[in-house]
Amino acid sequence: MSASPPASNAPATPRRRRIGLDGHTAFVYALLIVGATVLLIPFYWMLTNSLKTESGASLIPPTLLPLATYVEVEGQELEVALSEKDDAAGTIRVTVEAGDDHPMTGKSFVVDQADVVERVTPRWSNYPESLERMDFANALANTTIITLACVIGQVLSSSLVGFGFSRFRFRGRNFLFILMLSTMMLPPQVSMIPLFIGFRYLGMIDSFWPLILPMWLGSPFYVFMFRQFFTQVPEELVEAARIDGATNLRIYWQIMLPLSQPVIAIVAIYTFMFTWNDFLGPLIYLNSPENRTLTLALNAFNGNYGVSDVQLLMAASFVTMLPCIVLFFAAQRYFMDTGASSGLKG
Amino acid sequence: MEARTPMQTLARGMRMLLALVALLLVVWSVVHVGARELGRAQEAWSDTRTELTILHWGDNAEIEIVDSLVRAFEAENPDIRINRLHASDYDTKLNTMFAAGTPPDLFYLSADNMSKMAGLGLLHSLDDLVQDDIAATGEDWLADFFPVLLDTFRFDGTTQGAGPLYGVAKDMTPMVMYANLDLFRRADVEVPYDGWTWDEFDVAMERISALDDPGGKVYGSVVASWPAVLRQTLWTYGGDYFNGSDFGDVTLDEPEAMAALQRIRDMRFGNEANGVPITSYNATSGDSQGLGEQEFYTGRVGVVGPIGRWRTPRFRDIRGFDWDVVPFPHGAGIEPATALATVSWSMSVNTRHPEKAFRLLKFLAGPEGQKLTAASGLAVPCARSVANSELFLQSDQRPKNSKLFVELMETARVGQMPPQAEFGRILNEEVEQAIRLDNQSIAVAAEAVERRWLAELESPLRNDAFPKMPWLTVGAITTGGLAVAVIGLVLWLRREKLGAIDRAQERAGWTFISPWILGFLLLTFGPMLISLLLSVSRWTSMQPLAEAEFVGFGNFAHLFQYDESFAKSLWVTTYYALLAVPVGQVFALLVAVLMNQKVRGIAVYRTIFFVPSVVSGVALATLWVMMFDNDKGIINRILDPILGVVGLNAPDWFGTDAEVFAIPAYVIMALWGVGAGMVIYLAGLKGIPPSLYESARIDGANRVHQFFKITIPMLSPLIFFNLVMGIIGSFQVFTQVYVMTGGGPGNATLVYVLKLYREAFEYHKMGYASAMAWILFIVLLLTLGVVRSSKSWVHYEGLK
Repeated sequence: MSASPPASNAPATPRRRRIGLDGHTAFVYALLIVGATVLLIPFYWMLTNSLKTESGASLIPPTLLPLATYVEVEGQELEVALSEKDDAAGTIRVTVEAGDDHPMTGKSFVVDQADVVERVTPRWSNYPESLERMDFANALANTTIITLACVIGQVLSSSLVGFGFSRFRFRGRNFLFILMLSTMMLPPQVSMIPLFIGFRYLGMIDSFWPLILPMWLGSPFYVFMFRQFFTQVPEELVEAARIDGATNLRIYWQIMLPLSQPVIAIVAIYTFMFTWNDFLGPLIYLNSPENRTLTLALNAFNGNYGVSDVQLLMAASFVTMLPCIVLFFAAQRYFMDTGASSGLKG
Repeated sequence: MEARTPMQTLARGMRMLLALVALLLVVWSVVHVGARELGRAQEAWSDTRTELTILHWGDNAEIEIVDSLVRAFEAENPDIRINRLHASDYDTKLNTMFAAGTPPDLFYLSADNMSKMAGLGLLHSLDDLVQDDIAATGEDWLADFFPVLLDTFRFDGTTQGAGPLYGVAKDMTPMVMYANLDLFRRADVEVPYDGWTWDEFDVAMERISALDDPGGKVYGSVVASWPAVLRQTLWTYGGDYFNGSDFGDVTLDEPEAMAALQRIRDMRFGNEANGVPITSYNATSGDSQGLGEQEFYTGRVGVVGPIGRWRTPRFRDIRGFDWDVVPFPHGAGIEPATALATVSWSMSVNTRHPEKAFRLLKFLAGPEGQKLTAASGLAVPCARSVANSELFLQSDQRPKNSKLFVELMETARVGQMPPQAEFGRILNEEVEQAIRLDNQSIAVAAEAVERRWLAELESPLRNDAFPKMPWLTVGAITTGGLAVAVIGLVLWLRREKLGAIDRAQERAGWTFISPWILGFLLLTFGPMLISLLLSVSRWTSMQPLAEAEFVGFGNFAHLFQYDESFAKSLWVTTYYALLAVPVGQVFALLVAVLMNQKVRGIAVYRTIFFVPSVVSGVALATLWVMMFDNDKGIINRILDPILGVVGLNAPDWFGTDAEVFAIPAYVIMALWGVGAGMVIYLAGLKGIPPSLYESARIDGANRVHQFFKITIPMLSPLIFFNLVMGIIGSFQVFTQVYVMTGGGPGNATLVYVLKLYREAFEYHKMGYASAMAWILFIVLLLTLGVVRSSKSWVHYEGLK
């Protein structure tokens, strides 16, 4: 294939304007709308549950919105919990839940069913509460540092190795390249235990090193992507630099890297996503609470006695995944353009 | 430079802002972590005090208790500094700390795990320290403890109750039932403060279940059934897991035990033959230990139990109804029985400061600690004088019947578990099949538990003596092999003389790929070699590597002949792969074709379809558990009316239908992230020359023909690539299952890597786990070999 990044942005065919929808287009839109709705449901469910009270989140059947019930008592509208519905008399028992400070809280009486009103009541306070519970600032700082170190290491090492495989002739190159690709098939579980033992003998348990160091030694898949891209760089460009006296390292740094921006973006983003969401690595290697990453802090909501305060977990989950989504929107063009494919083709 | 539209300017501004935020975040993180690490280093440098590490669990109230005790202790003992660690995922944390060779000096240890830990030789015996302390102070502070608590933490190598002392109970609780008094009143049932028989219980449950409530159905009870409390139900029928302390004699198939299990099953699923209605809520989703308490909270459950005192502080928040504690029912003519849950402070055998650690232990479990425990309401204090005082009874607070906890201590006992932790796992897996999923009869479950447990005990791997691993020989052979390889490589490289340019090329090439070479040797080749060696050894990660024993193919023999859950985990993983890979690829391809349509607004839809694939893991696991919940989840709320049209019900994914539907539920979860595969296919679609379609159209081919005759062949290399990556990924699925269902219910979701993780990091059987890793590797290799050999459908011209 050819290096085609700019070409694919141009519309391939002139856009035809239509007034009505033909059958095909209508069908496409129907699929798109149904699919998008289904895919957005989990996000919605997370958001709505993060704004409910704990008992609100465990209602059977569930409610679609964070609702609360109110009754007017002495001119004041107070939040209540319901019980003992009596359809024959048309009454229901309510118990006031107006916060711990309110004098009426805990009072219980029977009212007319018609007097109870239901309104959407999002609990925004779930957010600060859950962030405090999971020691968010600390976990965020740890995760940021680990992720940053991993992204830098992965981009540098994979591009270096990819450069080596693409622009130099040396004996054993093809063998090593195929060997590298075949290691992609190895389940990481095979090396997990010996690696753990190794890091234990190095005294690196409960530090960030076991999570970061492997990322500085290149990953086969990303090396492969860089190599494919570098192979397409015209030889004249490199030759010209070499005639000007540039060293190999300089060619790599000043010509190859700047050219490979789309691949760098893809490698960086995928490494970011992987490290940010990694669970098994931190679970095995980190012990101290102050070293916890976001995923470990989230898992701490699954306590010894099951999940309590599901609504806080939802709020924390939402905040944790936000950076991934923001990053995705910022880097969208790399995902959707040729970047991802440029490494795979050829 | 062309002029920008306002949208472009806005997007640019947003990106700048984002970059700035990211930069600030990075700077702040570096400062934050840097300052923390510096502080720690400085503290470690300037602080000459002895450091003791302690590990505990618990909610905020408990953290406060331990923390205030630690501060008070530090104030009294200026020569000691305490590093207090807290973990919610406690067992994992404790296990990895031991596996890492850095166990805490003192840690919480529940009575069920004591014999396992003592059996592995991980616990420090406390008798000498206790005697020294009595001699020094002249008073025996343990004399005030309920005697049963001291016996519980004694272990002589085979049974609990005798032998050295391995822990001092920090608190305890007998198992009781929490009763919703309002429901009892409305159902006109007398509250059974003085105990009740199972027959009286049944009458009460039927009456309470018949009540009506605006929030949903009212249930008589939620009966907890995790192994430690299930035993209490067995006891009330006169049954038990074992014949006394003979762990080789499983008595689950005796009529008493079977009747108890049958009762739980019938309450949850009903039994028309015996006229038993459903009165018990079968809360099947999520972690088995959290069941029922949430339902009780909603006010629609009559009684919940057996559970301990630990729920009291949380239930005190209940405002909608009044509640109290009552005893657990018992069979007619059989003595009431109460299980005792207790947690000790135990000491690691590796502690470097046993005297100082014991001083701390005495402080934590002694009078100070007992008083704080009593006041918190979380547990019953172990000291009799404190338990009988107003400090614990708290007559101004619920439960009014707090003295029940103290009274039950007359008869409460701890069920002995064998030191092999596998029993609890086997029991849970098989019994859950019967009483939570209703997949197999009680008799079959009892038979299976006995069969699997005896196989585990009989395995040669467990009983035979093996020689030590000959590490010296192995090391010598490895070193020799490596030396030969290096010399051979050098000779091979020297064989032909190279010109200066070629030599420079060669040197530069090797230099640039050296990071990967290093990575290959250190992260792949070396570990694989070690893993291969471990797979023929028996080695507990608590011991030094020199202690490893050579067992030949013993690990493999055990896997295939004595461990039924191994075959199960292979099947579960295969089931997942068989569903997830084809379904995932078909969806990814179809969505990519859809996204390739040239309709207006397609960019927005591409975004929506792709976004789910960028979030993954823990953040979503609990969300999906909630969504798949049969009662509270949105998925069945949508599916039920749709399936209702054809007269079907939506499956209880992780509940009663888990055996068949839990894995498909995980596949659906994976499908949500279809965007990752979609984007690769989309890029491929864009690379197909439009001229191909043009000529096909001229030849009269319709869209379906075009798809099968042009699109698929042209994409075949990508399909092949995605297929290979998909197979690899699906064999390694772990995080979701670990967090969401933990292999259960039964073992319906016991995927391969989860089992491997457990063997390595929960049972510390590193050799056994390595053998499993190699089997996974071989299975994967064979599968990929088959996929590769059928490559004739792949057309490479598509990518030229």
